[in-house]
Amino acid sequence: MAESGAQAPAPIPGTEQRPLLWVTRPLATAARQFAKSLWRPSTIIYPFERLEDPKFRGEVAVASGKPIGVGEIWDNYRGVHALNINTCISCNLCAFSCPDVCIEMVTVPGGDPKHPKKCPQIDYGKCSFCGFCSDACPEGCLSMTTRYELSVHKREDMVYSPARMFEVFKSKLPMNPIRVERPKNEDQILLDPPICIGCNACSRDCPTQCITMLDIPKPTPKPGEKLAKRIWKEPVINDSDCVRCGTCISVCPKDCLFWGTRQ
Amino acid sequence: MSSASLFSVSDTIAAWLLAHIAYVFPPPVKGWLTSGDVVLGLTALIFSAILLGASMINVIVLIWWERKLLGRFMDRRGAMHVGFAGLLQNFADGLKLFRKDTVRPTQADELGFWLSPTAYLVTSLVIFAILPISTGWNGGSLPLTLLLALVIFSFAPLFIFLGAWASNNKYALIGGMRSAAQMIAYEVPILLAVVAVVVLAGSFDLTTIVMEQRNYWFWAPLFLALIVFLTGMLAEMERIPFDLPEAEAELVEGWNTEYGGMLFAFFMLADYVRYLVGSILVVLLFLGGWTLPSYVPSVLTSFPLAGIVWFMVKVYLVFGVFVWVRASLPRMRTDQLLRLGWMRMVPLALLSVILAALVVAAHCLPVLGCVPSMGG
Repeated sequence: MAESGAQAPAPIPGTEQRPLLWVTRPLATAARQFAKSLWRPSTIIYPFERLEDPKFRGEVAVASGKPIGVGEIWDNYRGVHALNINTCISCNLCAFSCPDVCIEMVTVPGGDPKHPKKCPQIDYGKCSFCGFCSDACPEGCLSMTTRYELSVHKREDMVYSPARMFEVFKSKLPMNPIRVERPKNEDQILLDPPICIGCNACSRDCPTQCITMLDIPKPTPKPGEKLAKRIWKEPVINDSDCVRCGTCISVCPKDCLFWGTRQ
Repeated sequence: MSSASLFSVSDTIAAWLLAHIAYVFPPPVKGWLTSGDVVLGLTALIFSAILLGASMINVIVLIWWERKLLGRFMDRRGAMHVGFAGLLQNFADGLKLFRKDTVRPTQADELGFWLSPTAYLVTSLVIFAILPISTGWNGGSLPLTLLLALVIFSFAPLFIFLGAWASNNKYALIGGMRSAAQMIAYEVPILLAVVAVVVLAGSFDLTTIVMEQRNYWFWAPLFLALIVFLTGMLAEMERIPFDLPEAEAELVEGWNTEYGGMLFAFFMLADYVRYLVGSILVVLLFLGGWTLPSYVPSVLTSFPLAGIVWFMVKVYLVFGVFVWVRASLPRMRTDQLLRLGWMRMVPLALLSVILAALVVAAHCLPVLGCVPSMGG
């Protein structure tokens, strides 16, 4: 027989005297499990049922001292962005700060035809959910919610338009309250007066309207000297309102605005 | 019990079909088409088609039933998305297997490799032709139906071993060897348990055996034989805890390691055909077949096809017991398996034969399932 050579395994404790238990005990266990799960197995049919449902809620997990329910998400979770289109000032800072270059500023209805309103559009195929954009947003209109379901059928659906993110905003999901306070930029926008032509582009495009064009005295030309052809105005920047977005620098046709420290 | 039988149904269909086909032909052909021989031939064809279709559908529903039950035993849900409660999932799986390529290993023996799945499936299906599922609802009614069914049932090791040998794979070969040893070892207790039933019923005809259970179902006096038969059937079907021939942990997939696609589907189907046949045999031999005890209200037994319905309910419940065992027990070792077969099951089966003889001798009617005799 095979058992003569093989080492006999140790018997299960409690079954040495009653070998039938070896068969009946698992059968009883399985039958008990069957009876328990006959009406409802513990599987949660995920897309149709969620742990967020109140029936699955029970205070078990403790995160940072605050008990939360099963399936609830920590409110500092960085999920899909919510965008408040109404308060967005089109400053472009989110797109500047994005390390993955997944934010593109697209035109949304609401601006005047000359200065179209531009809001961020996020490609979640590239996004790494670092949250820099919501940190960078000076108006607090771009923030991250607890929504984590991003599965789509088509790759194009990974791109969330401003309108779609506004829908997320309107659904009143918990927002990530943690926002790194953006340090006031040491640098300020400075003007190189001789080059400026007073064209009003910076003032026109400033998202916070902190640039005002002030009249400057028109110098009296010396004999034989030609006056520069320009509008006799100069931008004055209200530093407390400036969000340091750099829009004025990029629109300046003469490159007369630059970052610098005022003495 | 309705008076329709499978034969009369197929005869009606064949006659109706031939009458309509013959309508377009000139008189001599018309007369030949509606003659008795042609009708009989078409009847046989339709009969086989109905039988094949019904058994295949039952087999696939059986797979669904196992998946759902096993899910409940494991605290999960089983298939649930395709069709109602996942009923069509197995059709989808079968379609997938059907579309797959079948690859034959270069070193495999070609004839044996192709032959064994087909032969295994066909020999398993043939049994359905002689199993009665209600009065009149069977193919051939022979005096020795039970023996014939068991003989065809025990063809399987031959084809399994053929396929395993032809695969030219060490795992397949070991699996085939184990399968042959196991099936031969458990033929003996099964046949002895059947002998007990035959002693009690006095016939090898399955219909007679069912009719003999009108007073009491045979599981009551022959509980020992039922246990032996169930265990032996588990081993014959190679189900857990006796699934040594395809022990996934040791042998990759046992004797069907090298089979893929439709050939694997054939093996799988044939396995489930055998599970169905095993469950049907248990119901026929021990659980009264399509009959119900007389204390069941007649509302439940008088609707059309009631016999078939109750028969299938019993079959599925018996298969549920097999699933229950599968969900509970771990796999045995070869030495345990053979020792259980030869040293426990054979004596128990012999004991049950003696019990059956005693029952017959004493004309003792057990309490359970006791109904007044219907005469005859």
